[in-house]
Amino acid sequence: METFNSYVIFAIVSLPLAGAVVLVLLPSYRPRLIRWVATVVALATVLLTFYTFGFYDPEEGGFQFMRQWSWLELPGPWPLGEQGISFALGVDGISALMLMLSGIVMFTGVLVSWNIAERNKDFFILYFLLLAGVFGVFASMDLFFLFFFYELAVLPMYLLIGVWGSTTDFRTFVRTKEYGAMKLTIYLVGGSVLIWIALLAIFVQAGLGTFSFVDLQESADFPRTFQQVFFPFLMVGFGVLAGMWPFHTWSPDGHVAAPTAVSMVHAGVLMKLGAYGILRLGIGLFPEGAQDWMPVLVVLGTVNVIYGAVSAMGQRDLKYVVGYSGVSHMGYVLMGLATLDHLGVTGAVLQMFSHGVMTALFFAVVGAIYDRTHTRDIAVLEGLAKRMGVTASLFAVGGLTSLGMPGLSGVVAELLVFLGLFKTYPLLGVLGIVGAGITAVYILRLMAKVFFGALGERWRDQTDISRLEGFSSWVLVAFVFLVGLFPFPFIRAIDSGVSTLLSRMAGA
Amino acid sequence: MPFGETIGTEWAWVIPALSAAAFFLTVIFGRFLPRQGAYIPVAAIFLGFVLFWYVLRDLLTSGPASFDITWISLGDTRIAWGVNVDRLSVTMLGLVTFVALLVQVYSLGYMKGEPRQGWYFAAHALSAAAMLALVLADNLLFLYIAWALVGLGSYLLIGFWYERREAAEAAKKAFITTRIGDVGLLIGIILLFESTGSFDISTIFHVAQSGGISQGTITVAAVLLFLGAMGKSAQFPFHVWLPDAVEGPAPVSALIHSATMVAAGVFLVARMLPLFELAPGVMLLVAGVGLFTFVFAGTLALVMTDLKRALAYSTISHLGLMMLSLGAFGLGAAIFHLVAHGVSKAMLFLGAGSVTRVTGKTEIWDMGGLRRRMPVTAITFVIGGAALAGIPPLSGFFSRDAIMLAVMDNRGPAFLVVALAAAALSALYMARIVLVVFFGPLKADNEHAHESPLVMTVPLVLLAFTALTVGFIALPWGASYQGFGDFLADEGGFHFEVWLTALTLALALAGVAAGWLTYRTGHISHGQIARRYSGLYRVLVNECYVDDLYQWVVDHVVLAAGNFVALYDRVVINDTGVDGSALTVMLSALRLRHVQTGHLYNYGLAMSLGVVGLVLVWWLVLA
Repeated sequence: METFNSYVIFAIVSLPLAGAVVLVLLPSYRPRLIRWVATVVALATVLLTFYTFGFYDPEEGGFQFMRQWSWLELPGPWPLGEQGISFALGVDGISALMLMLSGIVMFTGVLVSWNIAERNKDFFILYFLLLAGVFGVFASMDLFFLFFFYELAVLPMYLLIGVWGSTTDFRTFVRTKEYGAMKLTIYLVGGSVLIWIALLAIFVQAGLGTFSFVDLQESADFPRTFQQVFFPFLMVGFGVLAGMWPFHTWSPDGHVAAPTAVSMVHAGVLMKLGAYGILRLGIGLFPEGAQDWMPVLVVLGTVNVIYGAVSAMGQRDLKYVVGYSGVSHMGYVLMGLATLDHLGVTGAVLQMFSHGVMTALFFAVVGAIYDRTHTRDIAVLEGLAKRMGVTASLFAVGGLTSLGMPGLSGVVAELLVFLGLFKTYPLLGVLGIVGAGITAVYILRLMAKVFFGALGERWRDQTDISRLEGFSSWVLVAFVFLVGLFPFPFIRAIDSGVSTLLSRMAGA
Repeated sequence: MPFGETIGTEWAWVIPALSAAAFFLTVIFGRFLPRQGAYIPVAAIFLGFVLFWYVLRDLLTSGPASFDITWISLGDTRIAWGVNVDRLSVTMLGLVTFVALLVQVYSLGYMKGEPRQGWYFAAHALSAAAMLALVLADNLLFLYIAWALVGLGSYLLIGFWYERREAAEAAKKAFITTRIGDVGLLIGIILLFESTGSFDISTIFHVAQSGGISQGTITVAAVLLFLGAMGKSAQFPFHVWLPDAVEGPAPVSALIHSATMVAAGVFLVARMLPLFELAPGVMLLVAGVGLFTFVFAGTLALVMTDLKRALAYSTISHLGLMMLSLGAFGLGAAIFHLVAHGVSKAMLFLGAGSVTRVTGKTEIWDMGGLRRRMPVTAITFVIGGAALAGIPPLSGFFSRDAIMLAVMDNRGPAFLVVALAAAALSALYMARIVLVVFFGPLKADNEHAHESPLVMTVPLVLLAFTALTVGFIALPWGASYQGFGDFLADEGGFHFEVWLTALTLALALAGVAAGWLTYRTGHISHGQIARRYSGLYRVLVNECYVDDLYQWVVDHVVLAAGNFVALYDRVVINDTGVDGSALTVMLSALRLRHVQTGHLYNYGLAMSLGVVGLVLVWWLVLA
């Protein structure tokens, strides 16, 4: 068991990679076989992430399931040079939860991609590479490999959107898939430049000759001015990925251009990488810098919440609505992180999970609607609930989650964020709650227009969501309810990680 | 010891749990069962009603109790689920289980043959469960959760016939309007948590009463809580959703106008009254809003021609009366009126449903003379109308009398005079509805009308019987029961002022008499009055243009803001800022590429200039 436990994270990271290799070897004229292989690999991975989260011991806390391989030694002027760069894996409560989120979204994404007709082999190869990168970021305990996996996650995205994406003509303007793909990639690479600068600065300033996260966190002593200078590099670099205003426009455009499964991963997991980076590296390594910069982050987060929600109200395309709603909800994550308060940060991490599941559900449902009606234009969709009752119910669950209906996951996370905010920035907390009110307006307007009312003449012969797509959505719904009704196991795991991070705060 | 003896107050939580379980069971397994599982929620609420009597018995013998379990504990913050079984919550349990049970039984007849009726009954179960949880909640967080679920239940029920555009819009409007109040409520709850460190209601009272919170915080928190109550209880200016909500099936209106939804706001203020009492300004606000709503909605009820819409404004008006009572420190009277009104109004809506189902009409002027064809509906409707008009010995008479007494004692003559006038008004509009619908000659196209089946009329009769008799709980029955006010809130024994009671009664009778002369005998012509004051009449039939104003704000402010920000985001931030930066880079590259000439002498020059520059820097700055 010990051996298995020390390899389980390695398995989670390498299974998608291995899956990609296997797929490369399969003939592309056997799409059924490819599908099945992809599904089996995804299923195995998601089960392993369940195992990891289930057996992570929050009482003990800290990093668990650890395993380390030395990769590059850096002998030289530094005292610990032998450790250099190592392929070190392990999870704490926060990353275990994030691994599980990625696993869930990966598995459901494979299911909704079941019917991809065009070059499904290449699709799944790139999809798995993308996921390997995501898992690697959450599981790496070495900054060099964290960055490596981060880059690995960004690049397949370009091809996935550029090849399998869709171009939409909005009459007054056109958003091509190439545009969406390019903007997304340039933005994320731009962010990663800032991150890389910060990582090198950390390495040099610490003078420990190691990229090991734990060593840096425990032994390095960064002067306050250094922290103040380099925290913004991490905050903005990762913030871009988290959809931080005003660097958010890549995200709705990217969602609109991307195929369903990629939108799910993109909004559900990739944006969480950004928030995770701010928390793990920014707050984890630069506690004092974080304290000095948090007023900025909390204001940006508030802008995200309100601005995203108001923009969502003015959108005509279903995917844009969900995209801007994501910008708005990621604002709660940023606000929660910025409180540097126990409740607030825990709420922020829970919101990452909750929003990840919820937005994956949204995109799965919107994708199903688009596949059938070939439009996402809110103005022409009408009364779909009559023919697509299950689809409408699934969308309603997502919508109610996003507007904060108790019993579903969103409200627990947001409530914790609000409690944290009222301790630290009460006025912005009020704005946050107002933002949740605006969410109700755009979600309910959309549901009333698209699903209710008399069935539009054009949609007389629509079919409801298929069993397979429905199954993947119900899996996501199950998690929405699970977190909403029994949040305690999740909160306990997050709490164990957050306590460690916050214990390093001055005055804590 | 028989089993029944062991059931007591600690079983109270089972009552909402039964309906909650019924919701899930019906949603999941309903499709395999007869009538799509409609009997599950009915059975659950029936068991809840039976349990209520056990809980009541135990409450009377062993006193209030509370129980809780930890839900989340994080650092030093502990959030618990708890139920608080006291006289207020048990009174509400009785009202909610009784009305919900009869409404659901009635629905068995009313919704017969309806596709998706399983979902309908499941939503009823959800509403009932949420409302029952709300009244039992011992902490504000739990209360908020139940509060939001009550809103969800109403949304689902109002929008049940979602294919009809009006129903979908009404459901949306109900949700969003009450949501605005909820935002205030949530802020208020968190504010109280921040200043007391607890969600627990009794702890908050304790801290507030011992001076642990500043006066300013108490006032702000109470206003915010009241905002939530105004939304749910449809107080002006949040009243607009309730008249539209009659787009739902009639039994739904019966439920949300009496036992759930609108009762939640009154209950919230009642539950938090010890906090409100620490903020006298807020109490005055509650009384003022209540009084204004009482009068305002009463005048509108007088001119509505849609039966259910007229009843809806009557509900808003009576909710205003309850708020007025709370603002006048009349807790017992307010809850008494909540019960009395709830029973009567549920019956009136069920009666209206019975009429509409048979005749297919919604306009009162298209009805008329229906007592000949629907005697049971007509008699029960008259009883309900009389109860709300305040005719003794029906329930509304006692409760209104108690409220007027509280207003006179604590709010003074100005409030009392206006309230009495509005009371006469409510007798008048009730008389109008009853007389126009059930009396006079029968319309030719209503000849085929007939009485509804037993499954619908039996609930009507039971509710009518209750409306007839429930008023007597106001009176003292012996040493251990000194009247409802004393039972609920230790307000001392039953008492009344003879002149005030006489005046209230006289005004109510005058209202009914005016109604009789206008709508039965025709001595007063309502048409002439409408013509003479045509300006005022037009304002009233258009519901004082409140709806139009809101619609204008939504279209021209809210949606315009959404469109503006969306456009700003695309054109300014993205196309200018983002694409502009990209374009700048590209244009700079187009210029800069000319530096790449391929001529050696150009490069040589640049190199030498660079070297000279570096040397100069080194020499002038660093050396």
